[in-house]
Amino acid sequence: MFVLSFLARRLLQGFVIIFLVMFLIFTLLRVVPGDPVRLMAGGMAPEALIEQIATQMGLRDPILVQFGRYAAHVVQGDFGQSFVRPADGAATGGAAFNDASRSERAEVLTLVAQTAPRTFQLALTAILMALLISLPLGVAGGLYPGRWPDRLALYLGSIFVSLPNFWLGIVLILLLSVKLAWLPAIGYQGFAWTILPAFVLAIEMAPFMIRTLTVSVAQVMQEYFIAAGPVRGLSRSRVVLRHGLKNASVPLLNLLGVQFSMLLGGVLVVEYIFDYPGLGLLTINAVLQRDFPLIQGIAIITSAAFVLINIAVDLLATTIDPRLDY
Amino acid sequence: MEAPLLGVQGLNVDLALQSGRTRPILRDISFELPAKRTLGLIGASGAGKTVLAKALVNWIEQPLHITGGTIAWRGKDLLGDRQGFGRLRGSKIAYVGGNPAGTLDPTQTVGAQIVEKLLSVQPRTSRREAIEKAVDLLAAVRIPSPSQRFHEYPYQYSGGMMQRALIVDALISDPELLVADNVTQPLDVTVAAQILKLMRELTERFATAVVFVSSSLPVVADIADELLVLHEGRIVERQATRRLVSHPIHAYTQALIGELPTIWQGHGPAERPRGQTTEPLLSVSEVSKTYKVRKRDSFAGYNHVQAVRRANFDIFKGDNFGVVGESGCGKSSLMRLLTRLEPPDTGRIVFDGQDLATCGGSALQKLRRRLQLVLQDPFSSLPPRSPIGAIIEEPLRIHGLGGAKERRRQVRDVMGEVGLDATLIDELPAGLSAGQRQRVNVARAMILEPALLIMDETLSSLDQTEQTKLLNLFERLQAQHGFTYLFISHDLAMVRRVCSRIAVMYLGEIVELAANERLFFDPGHPYTKALLSAVPTLEERRYRPEDCLLEGEPPSPIDLPPGCSFASRCPSAFDRCRSQHPGLTARSSHDLAACFLVEPPRVAARETAGA
Ligand code: SF4
Repeated sequence: MFVLSFLARRLLQGFVIIFLVMFLIFTLLRVVPGDPVRLMAGGMAPEALIEQIATQMGLRDPILVQFGRYAAHVVQGDFGQSFVRPADGAATGGAAFNDASRSERAEVLTLVAQTAPRTFQLALTAILMALLISLPLGVAGGLYPGRWPDRLALYLGSIFVSLPNFWLGIVLILLLSVKLAWLPAIGYQGFAWTILPAFVLAIEMAPFMIRTLTVSVAQVMQEYFIAAGPVRGLSRSRVVLRHGLKNASVPLLNLLGVQFSMLLGGVLVVEYIFDYPGLGLLTINAVLQRDFPLIQGIAIITSAAFVLINIAVDLLATTIDPRLDY
Repeated sequence: MEAPLLGVQGLNVDLALQSGRTRPILRDISFELPAKRTLGLIGASGAGKTVLAKALVNWIEQPLHITGGTIAWRGKDLLGDRQGFGRLRGSKIAYVGGNPAGTLDPTQTVGAQIVEKLLSVQPRTSRREAIEKAVDLLAAVRIPSPSQRFHEYPYQYSGGMMQRALIVDALISDPELLVADNVTQPLDVTVAAQILKLMRELTERFATAVVFVSSSLPVVADIADELLVLHEGRIVERQATRRLVSHPIHAYTQALIGELPTIWQGHGPAERPRGQTTEPLLSVSEVSKTYKVRKRDSFAGYNHVQAVRRANFDIFKGDNFGVVGESGCGKSSLMRLLTRLEPPDTGRIVFDGQDLATCGGSALQKLRRRLQLVLQDPFSSLPPRSPIGAIIEEPLRIHGLGGAKERRRQVRDVMGEVGLDATLIDELPAGLSAGQRQRVNVARAMILEPALLIMDETLSSLDQTEQTKLLNLFERLQAQHGFTYLFISHDLAMVRRVCSRIAVMYLGEIVELAANERLFFDPGHPYTKALLSAVPTLEERRYRPEDCLLEGEPPSPIDLPPGCSFASRCPSAFDRCRSQHPGLTARSSHDLAACFLVEPPRVAARETAGA
């Protein structure tokens, strides 16, 4: 009962959020400078032709009318076709405009479906790596506040924070890939290509996770029930493992949710450096090419993912701590 | 001779201070406790009694240190064998503290944690047995529908219910010694009385020895065979309970007994005679307030918490009016309505001839001056970074009264009146004692020369001596300035001492409204009687809790059942009580109670509340 009403309420909220995102992106794209038709048709195309194409594509209708048309399609699962990318996959720049080939332009949904799994895989790997790094450091730091594990966590965290991700990425490529040839780095041909970018992302996220863990573990360890546990007859390790860590896990879970959503939204810099064909790279190109349908599609789909992840995280949090009520 | 169950010899505990020095907390504590006996441990806050209780369960942690002495279990030293001591905890030596809400992990069910504990200390028990035993014991401590409650989380338990569950947690391993440290302190009196009774029953049934620690002598005297009096870290007296109460030897014990407020001796303040024509200073009629709280398990539902239900009463100038009730009875909500922090949903509050709801602007400003609130918590209600003089002066500044010099003079005067040293005027409040802080609060409230002072649990956090001093101060100020007081309190002994007219609240409703003497000696409502029966006192009881109160706790204020709200705990409830709601009925010209058993006086003059 609780779960159902929770889901119903949250999904409804989610739809509202997604709708707002859709509307914002749509209108913003149309008011910022940069005419997609000009980019499509090439700089040499005559003004009249551009106007003609734009009118044909509906780009000269009032924004609200355009939006209504778009929204009606989206509701049916049709995100439209890319302005510039041909269906055969290869990314094109501002190719010459050719009316006949319009039907062969790639479906936005197909483009996203091709790249999203890679980004998903990258995000998941990065999160797991970050957990591997920060769990031991953060928990130990929280259990012994002010002592060496705490300080170790703090120092490592500060170092990680101050490493810029593009720098770390380039250094790792040069060292592990170019010099030692241990790991592939550029492009994507299999899971091995995910490891390096994921590691860079993990290092970027770890300090926040370490900090959150240290603070929440230290806080929970101050709770009365932690001290009272051994007096009730429980062993200290049991109190820490079964009760302390469980209580400390909710803040970390929330952080994981946020970070995961951000990763899905596209890790622009890292994907760019590693030329990793994920959503980030797709987004960058779409923006550079004023590929309106693609930008909109990516935004809507990632915001939907965002909403879903948040719901999942909150649901998980309530099963860990039943007092929480979202 | 057989060694006693517990023997403490020359125990010293020190507190390590930041400066590297140490401060003694316990000195030379020696006593023995034979099996199956109950030893009471009494002392003011800061006397070291909680430290002693914790020492008995090997819970002395940094910065406290045991610096000498022994604690022996059946003659075997425990301090030299901390591991052995640790193993006794939870199995042979159990502990129940004064923080029921915080003792269990909030994320796991109460039942699972009790079972976890039993399995930890008695690994040979099967899980099935453990669950059965836990459910049985939950039933024995009269937790309703125990097998269902077993699966609930700590936050779903009320304070009293949780304390019951923790008693189960403590006793489930059949310990030989139970250390009960301030177990009733956070609870309401009626609930505390039930918990005490329960502990007596259970420890008798399981032949458990008990060390019962409390700062309330009447509570300890109720349960212990023998009493230890702890004063500044030392045991100053040890006697059998009765003897200690009737013949205290040490001066400290004598003083302690001497300043206990009495309820059944002497007379409470009588109501002032008043002519028919006098207008009430504050008149509350048909005031209700319902709060909406979002329902947890539903899509868009709300629960309606009826915090105040159709309250009616009048307060006349120079009166001491008391509103008593246990937590959740609505007295704090009533305070919020009276001080116009919130508007009531229905009804009228008229102060000084002005309707609170309709007055605004300058009339409201004036009204605020005439009606002042003195809050409960002396520690959080003062801004830590303002000097005391500025704090007291603030209301004057807000209302733009007087010049700087003039205000300063007034502050000095008021400080003198409430007994604050004039040299404190530029100090920060950090160094003040609780009593002094409360005086600052009073000074701040009275500097505007209000007509009505609302005291919301103002004295609850103070010890007896301070309370007495402040009450005397209030009396003096009343005589000088003609203040009218409204005391909102759960402390019946205090109300008995100062209030001439008293309203008793239960579940948002005023169930009885009567003059002091009548209320205490001839209560008209069964709940009042139950409340009176539960007040801890050394005096001979007029009412026995067993006769006045059924087991259980107040129902939730959400979706109240029809009929009398006290019906679920009322020993005299009958059929009609469950279907019909009794309104306030006049018992005499002045006293009213909301119970079907009230017999109206023969000449049934229809009177309004307090008229
Ligand atoms: S009305 Fe009935 S239930 Fe209520 S107090 Fe009176 S006797 Fe008890």
